[in-house]
Amino acid sequence: MRYKGNILEVTGLNLSISNGSGVPARILKDLSFNIRSGEILGLIGNSGSGKTITSLTIAGLLSEVATVDSGEILLDGEDLLKKTPQERRRLLGEKIGIIFQDPSSALDPLQTVGSNLNEVLSIRSDVVNKEERRERILNMLKTVGFDDPDEIYGRYPHRLSGGQRQRVLIAGAALMNPALLIADEPTSSLDTVTAMSIMQLLHEMCQEMGISILFISHNLDAVHDFCDRVVVMKEGTVIDSDTSWDIMGQPKSSYTAELLTNSRLDTRTLGIKPGFASEDAETVLTVSGLSASYGKGRILRKRTPPIISGIDMEIKEGECVGLIGSSGCGKTTLVKTLLGLIPASSGTVSSSRKLAAVFQDPVSSLNPAHSIRWHLKEALRCSGKPLRKEEELPAFKKVLNDVGLDEIHLSRFPHQLSGGQRQKVSIAMCLIAEPSVIIADEPFSALDSSSQASIIKTLSDINHERGTAMLIVTHNLRVVRAMCSKLIVMDSGRIVESGLTETILNDPKTEATRALIEADLYGV
Amino acid sequence: MNLARISKRYLIMGMTLLGIVLAFFLIGLIWTPYGINDTDAAAKLLAPCADHLFGTDNMGRDVFSRCLAAARYTLLVSFAGVAVALVLGTVAGLAAGYFGGITDKIIMILSNSVMCFPGILLALVAVAVFGPSLYNVIWALGLVFAPTFARVYRSGTIELMTRDFILQSKVMKVPPVRLMYVHILPNLMAQILPAVITGLANMTLFESGMSYLGLGVQPPAASYGKMLSDAQSYMTVAPWLIIFPTLILVFYILGLYFISEWVRTSVRGGSQ
Repeated sequence: MRYKGNILEVTGLNLSISNGSGVPARILKDLSFNIRSGEILGLIGNSGSGKTITSLTIAGLLSEVATVDSGEILLDGEDLLKKTPQERRRLLGEKIGIIFQDPSSALDPLQTVGSNLNEVLSIRSDVVNKEERRERILNMLKTVGFDDPDEIYGRYPHRLSGGQRQRVLIAGAALMNPALLIADEPTSSLDTVTAMSIMQLLHEMCQEMGISILFISHNLDAVHDFCDRVVVMKEGTVIDSDTSWDIMGQPKSSYTAELLTNSRLDTRTLGIKPGFASEDAETVLTVSGLSASYGKGRILRKRTPPIISGIDMEIKEGECVGLIGSSGCGKTTLVKTLLGLIPASSGTVSSSRKLAAVFQDPVSSLNPAHSIRWHLKEALRCSGKPLRKEEELPAFKKVLNDVGLDEIHLSRFPHQLSGGQRQKVSIAMCLIAEPSVIIADEPFSALDSSSQASIIKTLSDINHERGTAMLIVTHNLRVVRAMCSKLIVMDSGRIVESGLTETILNDPKTEATRALIEADLYGV
Repeated sequence: MNLARISKRYLIMGMTLLGIVLAFFLIGLIWTPYGINDTDAAAKLLAPCADHLFGTDNMGRDVFSRCLAAARYTLLVSFAGVAVALVLGTVAGLAAGYFGGITDKIIMILSNSVMCFPGILLALVAVAVFGPSLYNVIWALGLVFAPTFARVYRSGTIELMTRDFILQSKVMKVPPVRLMYVHILPNLMAQILPAVITGLANMTLFESGMSYLGLGVQPPAASYGKMLSDAQSYMTVAPWLIIFPTLILVFYILGLYFISEWVRTSVRGGSQ
């Protein structure tokens, strides 16, 4: 039944966004691609390449600042751009379904799953009977993998897990039996195992119901396993398009090849190597018997069970140590305790110099009200070694250069930088203070693969060239293998294994480590 | 109609109305056609005419001149009152949000205690105790309005405290006062601006109400509230005594409302 013809044809699409002042910026440039009936098309590219704006244009959900300058979008032969907003709104749901990235905000929290889905079905004129609606919804809930659809029907969204909510949203989209389903990073906010099951579900729906899927993702492994064809976007235009097998095996453009290299974290090509401490290196961070818990208030502090306990560790100059563990094992609490953000209930942390940190979320890692120059100045001021005015600029230039940015970024504000660039500014702020250890708490997880590779390279270079010790907290074992000479594994608030990275990963001694390695192997 | 166009209309309407009041204020500072307390026994309760644009009151004083002069008190009380409230509210709100715990509890109990009484009542009590004068009105209104700003600052600060850049600043050992005023405060401008504009409008209404009751700006100085209070006995025979001061108050408050709508829609547009 597959590939009868094109369900969607985008031809010569040009789109601009006005930022209120000056000339509108061209976001999509002569974009052309097609999706065949019953096909899963993967759309990949770095952040800012125009993937999401493409999906929003097809769905007719663009904001007022965006204007389509030329081109056509044919859905089943009808040009969507010639339709009125009312007609397009009707098509959304009937012919085009959408699943967004964050399932937590897409369901009405005051209505049960059943009412949420009834709302979807109420716009279909052919299902008027209440009983029939319920029947259809229950069937669909069963199709998307709920064993007890009756129970789920009456539940409120807050009583569902992230994966279950995403399933409900898929059920909502599938109820309308759309010709095209747009899935914009549907699994990026889910854990590995749940993400895998959601992708299998989408694949089955495509097979059984003949729905075509436009699958947008940063995860190239997932695209490879899941999609029939792949379109690679760069700066708003298509630069490569082929079957997923050919794209992944024999990329035609250098940009696609680079994407693949970055995604696979090819250490030889990127020039990353693990940071070892030299023989005579001094210890820069010593932690002994550290325990911490979250108390309530300063005066009426309640005794709560410790989140982390009995933590002993040592980091030497020039060493890069990885810290892994499942979600909720106490990694972030340990980091916050080391940094002094949570008071330790017992034990000591001693370091030769200040500690510095790079946090996870690039969006909130910099102060939106101030420029990059201010951020560096503030870091310099807090380091206790303020420079004379004429010495500041050369110092800022050097540190920006070290992290792969340049002077023009000084006058920029955080919202004018990409996620990767913001993380680099955070690293530059750490470097200015010349810390003994940089503690990086999942600094790559919110970035696309190219930015990830670039940040990993930056940290690795700093580790080797400046001899700055690092503690990298991550879920990604590829990163650990590439960067860290030593590894610490945490489980239930304790260190369960520590030693050389290769030894631990090749011969795990504990169940917790084995589970982490297994999840990584099946990782999507 | 799109958001940008609606937003622009609010701005134009707001600026026009505020422009009229501002013109009254500026002209009143340098020139009035008659002395504001000059009486003319031969021209009592005159209807608007070429000599007296807004007519005259029961003592033969020129209403136009008094309206020009009253604008300065309205603007002074509203701006100075909001400034007092803003300073107190900023200090209290930032401290409550930043330190949390017992500090937050004490500040919030105090501010809730103030907010659970009608504002005008508290202001009246304060002025009755300390005596009716322009400065006491400003202080009293500032104190009454401070909790509104403190709440906005507190909730904004609590929200920002979880952001990574604040954690980063704490790791860098930025002192708490600098963290509050240099790191947090500039990020709360978008939230506080509409509150300030609404505060200006409310402050004007309160000041007029207090003057109307005789506890605000004291005679012989002119204020819109006092003018309305004096005019109520002549409402049927000389409606202009009510109409013109009321119109200026309405222009000022409506102008502020349109500007606050413009700020709100612009922020919404910006976030989109």
